[in-house]
Amino acid sequence: MGIKAIFGGRPVLEFADEHSRRSFLRNAALVGVGATYVASQLGDPLAFGDADRGYAGDAAKSDLDILNYALTLEYLEAAFYTAGLKANLLKGRELELVDPIQQHEANHVTAVRTTITDLGGRPVAQPKVKFPAGTFANRASFLKTAATFEELGVKAYHGQVPLVKDGAILAAAASIAGVESRHAAIIAQISGGNPFPAPIEANLGMAPVLKAAMPFIAK
Amino acid sequence: MTDTIRDLIHGNASNVEAGAALGALSHGFHLAAAKDFTSDIEVLNYALTLEYLEAEFYRQGNRAGLVSGKEKQYLMQIGADEASHVATLTATIQKLGGTPAGAPAVDFGGAFDSRKSYLTTAHVFENKGVGAYLGAAGFVKDKMILQAAAGIFGVEARHAAVVGNLLGLKAEGGVYQGATETGIPKADVLKAVAPFLQDPGKVVAAITY
Repeated sequence: MGIKAIFGGRPVLEFADEHSRRSFLRNAALVGVGATYVASQLGDPLAFGDADRGYAGDAAKSDLDILNYALTLEYLEAAFYTAGLKANLLKGRELELVDPIQQHEANHVTAVRTTITDLGGRPVAQPKVKFPAGTFANRASFLKTAATFEELGVKAYHGQVPLVKDGAILAAAASIAGVESRHAAIIAQISGGNPFPAPIEANLGMAPVLKAAMPFIAK
Repeated sequence: MTDTIRDLIHGNASNVEAGAALGALSHGFHLAAAKDFTSDIEVLNYALTLEYLEAEFYRQGNRAGLVSGKEKQYLMQIGADEASHVATLTATIQKLGGTPAGAPAVDFGGAFDSRKSYLTTAHVFENKGVGAYLGAAGFVKDKMILQAAAGIFGVEARHAAVVGNLLGLKAEGGVYQGATETGIPKADVLKAVAPFLQDPGKVVAAITY
């Protein structure tokens, strides 16, 4: 699957203003997306013992870099669900299932942000994202984009597992990643997708994850 | 069903609030006692025993004719995932020069009396599995083994959520266990699965799934 196919070739986010776009681009630059991005590095599920298959391009990143990367993704997810719930597209059991997801993502933003600050780092700014027309047009488009976000989020966390140096940060990231997996499964279950795409979670390096969002940044 | 299992179902992990999240998170790897595991192989064998238990649980459960349609399809897939985890862990332990633990002799009691008891027990297994992996993760020294273990952990979380939803449990505290997963110490995990082990330490001949 090519990077552009991740969101079905559809724009998923636009930045509301130039400041937000620059803020996002700074973070993207931090992890080497953009002009220096050369090859699509799609991550296969790493088998046990394949010890040489980490994301070499990410290996030099500090824990703070990884946390800011996670923060960016959590900001996007939180903003996405906030907007989606505001659009009032779900009801009954579906609403009951999706409502806590928004709370979890907001909670993750706070947790990751606080962690960065506690470590003496500087959290990236919150991007003011604007989702393209149609994203919240109906229940199906909302859930379809949600499924894409969740699966991407799961792969993003799992791509960083071998690279986080501090044990406590790794524990924090893992405990968040598990919840993203629950979200991905439930969104798939209620939208007719596959809740169990593989016996072991797949993963992606930073560059392809950010690349998935990059083409959709409005000038 | 034992009181232990019943407690597990109703005594769901409390939600972790945003402010408390970091503190809780940073303790995630310190839940297990310091000497729970002395090597990666020990952690992997611990995981293997749990996966054997889960795989056999679904193998028996899916033969009991309690579920149908989409629900059956999900449970068949979950069972296949667990069997895959058994195979992966066994191969990894062998690759590392270790001896894989044997399949435990199990007795699931009345778990397959009804659809509800099947799914309820499955829900307990899955959430225990999630907590077990997170609780043991801090002991894993090899980062690539850690990644694979984390990859299994995530899939167990998917199972837990979907089974919780099939049961119609409330979203928070049922389908989800808060904004973050909580590790479970080895001793608590073993205590929870003890009722299903015929004779702790007894193993059966290799099971082919």
